[in-house]
This record gives sequence, structure tokens and C-alpha cells, in this order.
Amino acid sequence: MLPHPSPTVFVIDDDAAVRKAVSRLLRSAGLAVAVFASPREFLAQYDPDMPGCLVLDLAMPDINGLQLQTTLGKKGCTLPIIFLTGHGDVSKSVQAMKHGAFDFFSKPVKEKDLLPAVRAAIERDAVARREQAKRSEICARLDTLTPREREVLEHVVAGKLNKQIASDLGITEATVKMHRARVMTKMKVQGVADLVRLAEVCGIRGIVTSTPQLCHLCSV
Amino acid sequence: MSWITVLWSMNSAVCLTLAAFYFVVWCRERENWVHLLLSSSAIAAAAIAVFELAMMHADTVEQYQALVLWIHVPVWALIVSFVIFVRLYLHAGRLWLAWSICSLRTLVLILNFIFTSSINYRQITGLRQFSWGGDIISVPIGVANPWGLLSSMSLLLLLIFFVDATITVWRRGDRRRALVVGGSMILGAILAWHVPLVIWGIIDIPFFLCFAYSGIVVAMGYELSNDIARAAQLARRLKVSQAALRKSEQDMDIAANAVDLALWTWDIPSDEIRISHKARAVLGFSPSEKLDAERIRNVIHPEDRDMVRKAVKNSLQTGAENPVEYRVVLPDGEIRWLVRRSRTEFDRNGKPVLMHGILFDITERRLAEERLRLVVDATATAMIMVNKEGRITLINKRVETLFGYKRDELIDQPVEMLVPERFRSQHLGDRHGYFCDPQARPMGAGRELFGRRKDGSEVPIEIGLSPIHTSKGLLVLASIIDISERKLAELEAARQRHELAHLARVTSLGELSSSLAHELTHPLTAILSNAQAAQRFLADDDVDLNEIREILNDIVAEDQRAGEVIHRLRSLLKKGEPQKHCDDVDMNEVARDVLKLMRNDLINQNVTVDTDLAQNLPAIRADRVQLQQVVLNLLLNACEAMTASDASERQLLITSKLENGAVRMSVTDRGGGIPEEKLEQVFERFFTTKKEGMGLGLSICRSIIDQHEGKIWATKNADCGATFHFSLPTNHVRNEAVITE
Repeated sequence: MLPHPSPTVFVIDDDAAVRKAVSRLLRSAGLAVAVFASPREFLAQYDPDMPGCLVLDLAMPDINGLQLQTTLGKKGCTLPIIFLTGHGDVSKSVQAMKHGAFDFFSKPVKEKDLLPAVRAAIERDAVARREQAKRSEICARLDTLTPREREVLEHVVAGKLNKQIASDLGITEATVKMHRARVMTKMKVQGVADLVRLAEVCGIRGIVTSTPQLCHLCSV
Repeated sequence: MSWITVLWSMNSAVCLTLAAFYFVVWCRERENWVHLLLSSSAIAAAAIAVFELAMMHADTVEQYQALVLWIHVPVWALIVSFVIFVRLYLHAGRLWLAWSICSLRTLVLILNFIFTSSINYRQITGLRQFSWGGDIISVPIGVANPWGLLSSMSLLLLLIFFVDATITVWRRGDRRRALVVGGSMILGAILAWHVPLVIWGIIDIPFFLCFAYSGIVVAMGYELSNDIARAAQLARRLKVSQAALRKSEQDMDIAANAVDLALWTWDIPSDEIRISHKARAVLGFSPSEKLDAERIRNVIHPEDRDMVRKAVKNSLQTGAENPVEYRVVLPDGEIRWLVRRSRTEFDRNGKPVLMHGILFDITERRLAEERLRLVVDATATAMIMVNKEGRITLINKRVETLFGYKRDELIDQPVEMLVPERFRSQHLGDRHGYFCDPQARPMGAGRELFGRRKDGSEVPIEIGLSPIHTSKGLLVLASIIDISERKLAELEAARQRHELAHLARVTSLGELSSSLAHELTHPLTAILSNAQAAQRFLADDDVDLNEIREILNDIVAEDQRAGEVIHRLRSLLKKGEPQKHCDDVDMNEVARDVLKLMRNDLINQNVTVDTDLAQNLPAIRADRVQLQQVVLNLLLNACEAMTASDASERQLLITSKLENGAVRMSVTDRGGGIPEEKLEQVFERFFTTKKEGMGLGLSICRSIIDQHEGKIWATKNADCGATFHFSLPTNHVRNEAVITE
């Protein structure tokens, strides 16, 4: 397990010399670095709570960089990946970028390219983690709503009036108002505008479907 | 007439007859002095008989005295004749004794005439007459002369001389002659002793010296008559043998004619040349023409006259019998070749008297030789004939142009002068070895052969050797072919092959280029990152020098690594010179080097490689780069074959092992495999299964392996895919001295 929760750069390269040199460069910039000789080694020690970013060699025996990217993606890992590659792997770099690579550098990589990219990646990871935390909290609030209250919420976010909601749901306007007040309380918001923003964070964009939708982003 | 008179007269008559006979014989054969000696002895003996008879019938003392005085003349002649006869005829008797007897006898004769009476008697006082043998004979009475001892001494010496001569002849083995001549002489000399005995008055008989001596003369005559008879016999035999000789000479002439052989005789003192009819015909002489040396000389070809004259002169001086070959010009202008052989006879003084010999027409042989020479000269192959001593006996024109020597400069010279100096000692040994086991075969099998020209330059050649058994012993015919042009063509082919191999190599590396670039980017990345890290560390106030040192060490190491990659690449990309990179190559190392080059490519293609390399493989003498090319090609092909396979199936196996003295390396893939009928075809040029391939890879592999005298082949695996093998002999010795700049 990684020793402390400060952001760490995970360097994965099958070439020991490159691994050592890159990690040294990152350390010289004051970054915490962890090195791995192969994707397999990294996966064995992977802890999703560790913030930071990946510096990944594209061409490696056994599991290559792209395969690791896919695997991590399947696991819902959001660590930004910076790929390093030899010349000429255009098709592979395109593929990597499509799959959400944070950045892509040809070897030999320059300090002025790599360090800002790593910092930016760490920053993005931090932001992502913060947003994730926030989303988790909102989702938790959402989870406290009863199904009826949730229906009402969706109609409210969609900008419908109480009368419309009452007619849609087949209940009285007074009942709608009561649910609406309870939703406001449970979601800890003052007005409709706040509620809409929170709902957006959780991916609820007005009433389209009456099916309750869980926040899939939280289900890691 | 009393019988005494008859006996003495007969004695005299017999002696005279003998004398006359042998005088006639001598007159016919004057050089035979023995006959004259016998004749003179016989006359002397006859004279002695006459004197003795007269003495017996002397009436007065004066008469007797005169007879005694004059009888010494025939006695002297007789004794001197005997002595010379013994020396000349019997070849015996001591010379000093002969001289002593002759001079003593001469002294006696002189003294005889000095004294008043004679050397026998100082004075004859009277005559005693008595009847003896039916007659009245007179015997002297007187005082003996003491000087008469000299006469007696001469008789003694004569006896000794005869005995000595007889012994000599006896010992020589001519016993009959010793008995007849020697015996009669000894007997006569003993009988002669009655003279002093009568003179000294010891016995009283008349002198009969004539009988003592005529006996000797008769014995001598008998011996000589034997000789004459034998000579006649010999003459008869000679006649017969001469007839036979003439016959055999005729036979010889016929035989000689039959084989174009002419016999000739040159009588040197008379400068007369006899020559057989056939030869006369050949030389254009009429049958009756008288021939001499000058006439013969005139028919000899002007260019050869000097040579023949020298040879004849040599024969006349030394008796040498060397054959001489020369040309003659016939009256019709035709030129014929003759060989002349002669023998010279010398007289006792060493003067040449006779030369005889044969002439043989060798025109046909000469023409055949000339034709052969023309044929040999016309052949494009240079030919040299060498004898057992290693000397050149024959060359053709091609040799002159090939080596730059003239014919005269080569004939009879050691053949090693055509061999470059560095090979000479070896060539000597090889040559002796060949003569021990002569058989037709190429020379120096498997070796590059060079000839040395007159200007010292060398020319690559091939030599075929054939033993030729001749009457002059074993000769070896060497047929020499100039292979410079073939060598140039071979070099050109090798160069083209090399170019093609290089092209293929560059193409192969092109396929690998991205991964090769990657191979370089690793160290470069490490270097750049390390360097920049160091820059950052140094910017800090608190510099960790250990860290910096470590970084610098790493930079150096990575730079070396990059250098190695570049070196590997460059050696493969370099064209180099064909066949100039032979060194000891470890096949396992070659495989590992190639795997290093291909590392990224293999990773990118998801190909895993297993190796099963035998330990302690012997090194191979080979071109490392070319073998790398072979392995690279086989690995690229294997990867190519597996592109369609599932990633987990993409496995390569490289094995090496020692097998039958050869290193064998195999590359096994798990691709689509090769159909049985195409296993051989894949090595053919322009055969390809790829869309983009030129179809050169495997054909170049094969040409490289062929050049290294190895084998390359493909097999089908039991389950899937194919295996490519190649094997290279370990005792493989490449000739590096192929190219002579």
C-alpha cells in the first residue's frame, strides 16, 4: 500500500533505466513517485484511493500501455494517464487519446513538456476527486428521498409548475407542495435554482423518464 | 766316302736347305725378323759343319790352325742369332745376359784374331791322325790358350741364358715350345762343352759342334713351321669369316635399307667415304660417284653445317658417339632430317683412322614432332612438361604469353621459377610427393593456385597434372589455365550477391525501423531525463552530490547503450567488402544480437520468444553480419507468418545445437505453415507469399549459407507452423586470400 495519501506519480516502464531517469526527474520537481516495471505489477498494488497520475510506456511486453488503460477504465479508475511512446506509433496514440489519455509524449520527453503535464494531471485528479466527493454527498442526499419525492424532484428540475406536476402524477397540488418542501429540506437547498444545479451534478436533467436513476459514477 | 763325311755333309745340306727356305719366307714377310734369324743360324751351322769336316781331314798343322781361327766367325754368328732369336721369338731371357753373351762372344772373336794361333790354342804342335768311324781323322795336339776360358765362360752364360728363358716360357704355359726350343737349346749348349774338353785334352774325340747347334736350328725350324702352318690355317679361317662378314654386311645393308638406316664408313687417311646404296639414293648421289668429306658436307643444310662440323671434330678428338640431328638439302631442293651416329677408330698412336656409323632418316618423326608442337602451341591451355628433377623440358607458346618468359629462358630451368616465392618450398615437397604417386588429377585441390610471371606479378591459375611414362623416365605434363577472368567474374558475382544481400538487409531493417528507433529512444529518454533532473537538483540550494554523481554515471551508461544500438545497426546497414569479414562467430551470440534488435518489434507484435541454445558451441569461421541477416530474416518471416494467429499463439522458438560436426540453428513458428510441396520452393528467388515482399529474403539466406558451405531447409511442424533450419560446418575454413589487390 502506498505510504501516504499525497498525490503520487506512478511511473510504469519496462526499461529500468528510463524508469529510473523519469522518476528522478519527477522527484527533482518535488513530486512523489512510485515506479513499476510492468502493468501487472502496478495492478497488483493498485489502490483507487491513491491520488496522482500515471506515466505509462505505450509498448511493453505482456500487457501494454493501451491494455492497461482499458483495464483501468473498466475498473472506473480516473487516474489521468500520460503516455510515453517511441516514434511513429500514430495509430496507437490516436487510440490512446480516444480512450481518454490525459496527454501523449514521444520519447525522449522534455522536462518542460512532462512536468507541467504531470502537474496538470495531478490537479485534474484532485479536482476530479473533489467533485467526486461532492457528488457522493449529493447522491447520498438523493438516496434519502422517497420514490414519490424523487418523482416530484425530477418534475421540479424539469421546470414544471406544481399544478402540472399534480396533474402528471395524479395527485393534489397540496400534496405536491408538501413533497416539494420535504425534498428541499432533504437536499439542503434554499431554492429551485440550487436544486436544479445539484440535480445536474447527479445527472438528473428534468423529467424524461419516470424511472429512478442512480448515480452510476458513484457506484465504484 | 766314309759315313763321317756323309753325316757332316748332310748336316750342312739340311742346314742350308732350312736357311734357304726361311730366307725366302723372310723375304716375303720382312717384318718377321725371326725367319731371317733362323736363316742366319742355319747358314752358320752349315758353315760350322763344313769347317769341322775340313778340320777332320786337315793334313797340316797350318791348315788346321787356319780352320780353328776362322771357325769362330760362324760360331759368333750362330750364338748371336740364337740369343736374338730367344729374345724376339720366345720373348724370354734376361736382357743383361743377352748383352753379356753377345759382347763376350764378340770379345772372343776379336781376341781370336789378335793371338797368333787362335783363342783356343797358343800353339798347335802337331796333328794326331787316327781311324774313327771308318775314316782317318785328324785331331790337334797343342797348348791350350788360357784366354780360351773366356770362350768357355760365354758357353756357360749361354747355357744359363737358355735355362732361364726355358723356365720363363714353361711358366708362361707354353710348355711345348719350352720343351722343343728350350730343351734343344739347353741340350746343344751342354753338348757344346765337348769343345773345351777336347782342347784341354780331357777327351779325345773330333769336334761335332755342328750337330749340337743344328739340332737347335732344326727345333727352331720345326717351331716356326708350326707357326707358318697355323698362320695359313688362320688365313683360311679369316677368308671364311670375311666371306661371312661380307654376307652379314650385305644383310645389314638390306636390313638397314628396310628401316631407312644407312651405314657409312669414312676412311680418314684416304678421305674416302663408303655409303650404302640406299643412302646414296636418299642423299642424291649416283651409285658410282666417289664420295669424300667435302662432298658430304655440301649436302648439309647451310644452317646446320657448323653444328655438324663441331660434332665431327669432337668425335675425332675424343671418340664421342653423340648423335647429331641435322638437315640435308636434296638435289630437288627437298629438306630431310637425318640423325647421325658414329664411332671413331684410332691407331696405336691415337690418330683417328676410321669413322663409321649410321644415318637415319627422321624426317617423318621431325614432321610429327613439328605438327605436335604446332598443335600444342595452338591450344589455349598453357602446357609445361617437367622431368623428375623438376626441370622444364617442354613448353608451348601459351606459356610464353602467360608467364612472359621466352622459351629459351624456361627450358631446362626448375619449374619453381614459375611459382610465387611464398609457395616454393611447399611446391618442392608437393612435387616430390606427386612423383611418388603419379596419377592424372588437378593440382592443389581446394587451394588457390598462383603463377609468377617474369615481371614478378601473380596470376591465378588452375593446373591439371598428367604423368607421362617415357623412355627417359617419368615426365609430368601440367596443363595450366589462366583463371583471372573467371576470378574477376566470380568477384563481380560475389559483389552483386553482396549488394543484393545488403539491399535485403536494408529492407529488413526498414521493416524494423520503428522498433529500432524505439530501441534508441530508450537510452536517449533516460539520458535526457537524467540530465534535466540533474539540472533541477543543481538549481536547489541544498545539492545532493551523491545523487548528481549517480545521475552522471547513469548518463554515461545509457550513452554507451545508445552507442551499442547504433553500432549494431550500422554494422547491418554497412555494405562493406564482400568476403572480407571472416571471424570466429558464436551462433548463439548472433541470435541474441538479432533478438535485441527486434525486441520492440516482437513486443509490438505480441510475439514471445523462447530460446533453447546449446552451451559451448564451437565457433564458426564466417561473416557475422551475413549470419545476423539470415537469423533476422528467419525471425521476421516467422513473425510475419504469425500475424494472423491469435496473440496467445504467437510464439517463436529458437534452438541451437551441435550436430554431426556442424552448428544447427532452427527457428520454429506457430503460424500458418508451408505446404509440403513448397518447402523447397520458398528458397527460390521472387517466391513470396507476402503482399509487399520482393521474395528475396530466403533466397538471399540460402546464397549466404551456400557461401559458407552450409545448408538451409524448411520443415513442417507436427502441430502447426513451420521450422527453418540452417547448419554450418564448424571446421569450415574460408580462404581469405582470395582477393589479390
